[in-house]
Amino acid sequence: MADILQILILGLALGGVIALMGSGLSLVFGVMRIVNLAHPSLIIAGAYIAYWAFKVLGIDPIVMLPVSAAILAAVGVLLYRLMFEKETKSAKYSEMTVLLTFALAMMAEGVLGGLFTNTQRVTSPDYATDAFFIGDVFIPKGQLYAGVLSLAIIAALTLFLKYSRLGYAIRATTQNREAAELLGVNVNFISILAFAIGIGLAGAAGSLVSFVFSFFPAKHWEWIAMLMSVVVLGGMGSILGTVVAALLLSVVAAFVGTWIGATWSTMTFFLALFLILLIRPQGLFGEKPEMA
Amino acid sequence: MTVTLQQSSASSVLKARRAHNEKLARKADQTRATWFPLALLAILVALPLLQFVGNYNYVLHLVLFTASYVAMASGWNILGGFAGYVSLGHSVFFGVGGYFAGMLLARYGISTIITAPLAGLVAAVLGYLIGLITLKVRGPSFIISSIALLMIARILFDNWEFVGGANGLTLPTNDLPVQWAKLPYYYAMIAIAAFTVWATYRIKHSKFGLGLRAISKDEIKAESAGIDTRFYKVMAFAFSAFFVGMTGAVWGEYLTYLRPNIFLLILVSANLVLMSILGGKGTIAGPVVGAILIVALNEFFVATMGASEINILGTGLVMAVGLIFFPLGLIGTLAKKGKLPRVLNWD
Amino acid sequence: MTELLQVTDITAGYGDGPAILDGAHLTVEPGKVHCIIGPNGAGKSTLLKSICGMLTIRKGDVVFKGKRLNGMRPDQILREGVCFVPQERALFPKMTVRENLRMGGFILDDQRELERRIGEILERFPILRERADQHAGTMSGGQQQTLAMARTLIIKPAIVMLDEPSLGLAPKVIQEMFDIMKMMSAEGVTVLLVEQNALMGLKNSDWGVVLDLGRTLFEGPAADVLADPRIQELYLGGKKAA
Repeated sequence: MADILQILILGLALGGVIALMGSGLSLVFGVMRIVNLAHPSLIIAGAYIAYWAFKVLGIDPIVMLPVSAAILAAVGVLLYRLMFEKETKSAKYSEMTVLLTFALAMMAEGVLGGLFTNTQRVTSPDYATDAFFIGDVFIPKGQLYAGVLSLAIIAALTLFLKYSRLGYAIRATTQNREAAELLGVNVNFISILAFAIGIGLAGAAGSLVSFVFSFFPAKHWEWIAMLMSVVVLGGMGSILGTVVAALLLSVVAAFVGTWIGATWSTMTFFLALFLILLIRPQGLFGEKPEMA
Repeated sequence: MTVTLQQSSASSVLKARRAHNEKLARKADQTRATWFPLALLAILVALPLLQFVGNYNYVLHLVLFTASYVAMASGWNILGGFAGYVSLGHSVFFGVGGYFAGMLLARYGISTIITAPLAGLVAAVLGYLIGLITLKVRGPSFIISSIALLMIARILFDNWEFVGGANGLTLPTNDLPVQWAKLPYYYAMIAIAAFTVWATYRIKHSKFGLGLRAISKDEIKAESAGIDTRFYKVMAFAFSAFFVGMTGAVWGEYLTYLRPNIFLLILVSANLVLMSILGGKGTIAGPVVGAILIVALNEFFVATMGASEINILGTGLVMAVGLIFFPLGLIGTLAKKGKLPRVLNWD
Repeated sequence: MTELLQVTDITAGYGDGPAILDGAHLTVEPGKVHCIIGPNGAGKSTLLKSICGMLTIRKGDVVFKGKRLNGMRPDQILREGVCFVPQERALFPKMTVRENLRMGGFILDDQRELERRIGEILERFPILRERADQHAGTMSGGQQQTLAMARTLIIKPAIVMLDEPSLGLAPKVIQEMFDIMKMMSAEGVTVLLVEQNALMGLKNSDWGVVLDLGRTLFEGPAADVLADPRIQELYLGGKKAA
């Protein structure tokens, strides 16, 4: 029983972080219909910011979180204007943007690899290796902090989308771009803003990821399939769905990892992706599949 | 002249008409220059004669390498270019072909050059089965499913001890002298590439190819026109996997080892997409031109900078620039402007 | 000058495509219901989209209260008081009725005033008040159209343009929609609508406009349009129907 509880707790804590990693992906898809394959490589960029800030300046990665979020949000604005703004009129927009973000992922990997080599890194503040004990069950502090912070950031994002004026505009643009424009929303500005928030979330996730997972520039290929399965299962564009799916899959993966073998725990995500695409392409919370 | 044209509007209309007629004439002149690909092939077949006057192994290697990508990119083009389903997981078939033929070589000593068609067939069957599942979704969802496929294959091969796991397998080398050791693979690869290009031409101009192009334009309309879209798509997937699988078979023996991190690499898939798009998706000459360009570019990056990171960065950069500025690719853009040289019109 | 909106000889189309509108003109007088009729592809929707700034006008002028609208962005035109409801009603299906109304006042800066106006609208349309917290996508066609029209009133517009408000609605519900339009015009909001059902549209309007092949063929009091034998024959389905 304690075993099961233990695995559940570890799964949920990691699930929180994965939810944050996926939420930016989901937001960007929801508003701009861009499947951002470069998202995980930008998370890794955020992780490097936190890593070097800790290593060179001794700044805690949690303190660095807003900084790496801001830096990547700025990068997001730049990328959107350079790569995606003109594509909005392209007939094969969604396919085109997938390929563009794929190219972007390779560029990011190349730049990061050139700068920092392919050595595995992990930020190691004290709490990353510490744990709380409740009876027989232990909760690693690093994973707990990261998981809780992630869920807090997602909650803040949800409140922003639900109640602020810009949040209204973002949601309206997601649901009906033309109608939003007719009601006076500057949809291009909203697209840039949402993209920046999405990439900023990648930066925020990056600093938390930096002490939860070890990372190197080429790691993002593993993460993209993992995050995609979370986002697709949750229903592309639904942030609540992303959170539920991340927690669910992460817990399943934790059980698979303990009972069957660590190699197969990542497999959970990939197989889940296949199953979802097969059985329910619209995901748990999506309305209808976005296709073509 | 009895009619005087004074108004500038009338003369400009005439000018436009004349230009249009010339363009039509040029288009009509776009008859295929079949001699060109044949001449190219003849040159490549004769190229190993160079070995009599010196050591040109590097040149042969480059041609072999390019030919392997010509075959794979052309194969990819059947699904990605004709049917419009972009796959980023085609290196799976490269790996499956390589491992299947490689295992036959390691166990029974049969050269992959002989078993390559069989390896292609195995890849095709696998492609058919996977297609049954993943071709249910379109656009971005299909692309994502193809990435997931590659990830799954990578984990499976990394952990499959029978084929050597992550360390892979070493294959026996042939006992030809160094000068001639590459030749069997050289000719095999040239043959595979030529066959693939010819096959894609035949497919494009068949009823099947017409159906695929209809699917790529508008799947729902294609279906209502009576095309069995599901069967067409799955067959396109199988054909496309066949050529990639054959290439993988010969490549494994040429390399003398099999390893998941050589075969099941997303960069290989990315290269296929990149070559087809840069050259011109859906055209016959496109993947060929694209493969030559990208291999040349890769060699340039590696020779001048020497690091694989630069290679990845360069590949991504070329892909992004190509997509943004020439979404139709080199052949497609030239053809649209009516400026495609006759020797490159293979369609 | 009594006209509120004056459209003179405009040419417009989609992207680089052919001109859908080719020399259309239109006069809109304040406080009336205007109905544009014409066969499919005549350019009726295109005309409304050109006025509200969704399409670039290639030639000609759109003048509203003495001010040129061509070249202005949709949100600038909206701020002038010209509101457009497209055929698909442009609702946000996963937002509640109240949230949809709030989006209707997106260009208003005073949030308290916005909430006050939303309250007013909900008072006036009991059907919306009952469903204030229901998602718009779950309502019936008539309720959705009511919401779309009511939403335009939030910014107290001068002109509301409606593209086929009756589309997909039952006859009884259509009459309710026309009643709302009449109520709007009685309050001084000028209505300009495009209607496929020409007879029904003209009978409920003050002013009729016949558009075909991208040009305005006829403009006049709705009763005159209804009575004209040529129009009856070509656009109203023959004399018997009239």
